[in-house]
Amino acid sequence: MLPGLIQILLFQSIGEIISKFFLPFLPGPVIGLVLLLCWLVIQKKVNTDLALVSDTLSQYLGLLFVPAAVGVVLFLPQLKTNALPIFAALIGSVIFTIMASALVLKFFQKWSNK
Amino acid sequence: MNEKHSIVEIWVYLSGSPLFALFLTLVAYQIGLLIYQRSRQNPLANPVAIAILIAASVIELIDMPYEKYFEGAQFIHFLLGSATVSLAVPIYRGLHTLKGRSLILLLSLMVGGFASILSAVGISRIFGADAAIINAMYTKSVTAPIAMGIAERIGSSPTLTAIFAVCTGILGAILAPSVLNLCGVKEWWKRGFPIGIAAHGIGTSRAFSVNHEAGTYASLAMGMNGIFSSIAIPIIYQYLNHIL
Repeated sequence: MLPGLIQILLFQSIGEIISKFFLPFLPGPVIGLVLLLCWLVIQKKVNTDLALVSDTLSQYLGLLFVPAAVGVVLFLPQLKTNALPIFAALIGSVIFTIMASALVLKFFQKWSNK
Repeated sequence: MNEKHSIVEIWVYLSGSPLFALFLTLVAYQIGLLIYQRSRQNPLANPVAIAILIAASVIELIDMPYEKYFEGAQFIHFLLGSATVSLAVPIYRGLHTLKGRSLILLLSLMVGGFASILSAVGISRIFGADAAIINAMYTKSVTAPIAMGIAERIGSSPTLTAIFAVCTGILGAILAPSVLNLCGVKEWWKRGFPIGIAAHGIGTSRAFSVNHEAGTYASLAMGMNGIFSSIAIPIIYQYLNHIL
């Protein structure tokens, strides 16, 4: 497990450094993600240590943003006064997004080779 | 020393250390997971939503300031960056499914990605939401760890970002089957991909529970939308704030 964690922290650090000095508008971890993806494509396989750490983190992904979300206690009055726009935007947008991407897949079938 | 005194002392000691917030967060999430499994994975019984509800109620009840809670819980929060990097593994595993379909999937990703950002920002603005709310709407379809990274870049609240992302995931998981039926989309890969774009991780786990192919495509879409949005959102944000 440790080698997997080291790999992830290494790519995360490289991503943070590139973000700080060259691509400030991109979050460091996203650059780390892209670099790790390129590395995996070159390697043509995922080693077991990396798979173990990655699968564990993915399994508990939801847990990781609980601390930030608990801050909702500070936003309750603001959420209440904005309840209607929030519901309208969240529901409307999720339906519109699914429709838009699904209809592209439906009507551009000829763009796919299989 | 009488008993009451000692309990107070233990309490003061515990609430002053990061241990309590860590413990509370993990227990709240574990309870959320148990309820989710008991409800046979009903998207309404989302473990993250339950954990947030429990942890927020507890800190309100015991009058613990949020800053104090976060001091302890930040050890969990810190892992978000590492979780983002490790998303490379599921994306890599899904890459082989792209073969022969990459063009149409990329087009669908871009149309869906733009649709998500513009409709959420547009609707909340039309209905007269506060600026802080509108700013947190940009990332609502992005998987939460990446959304938090983008939120940092455009200066929106990490709390609202996480809350809107979780709500979107739950709504997407509930509404997707009917919307896809309405569009007349039947193949599993075409049903999974839009769910991943619109409803990230929560939608993806729902897709996996229905069909494996749908789940694989949803997971790929979630990762691709994360990368796409990290580039697109800061640009759209700058542009919209410039013209409006």
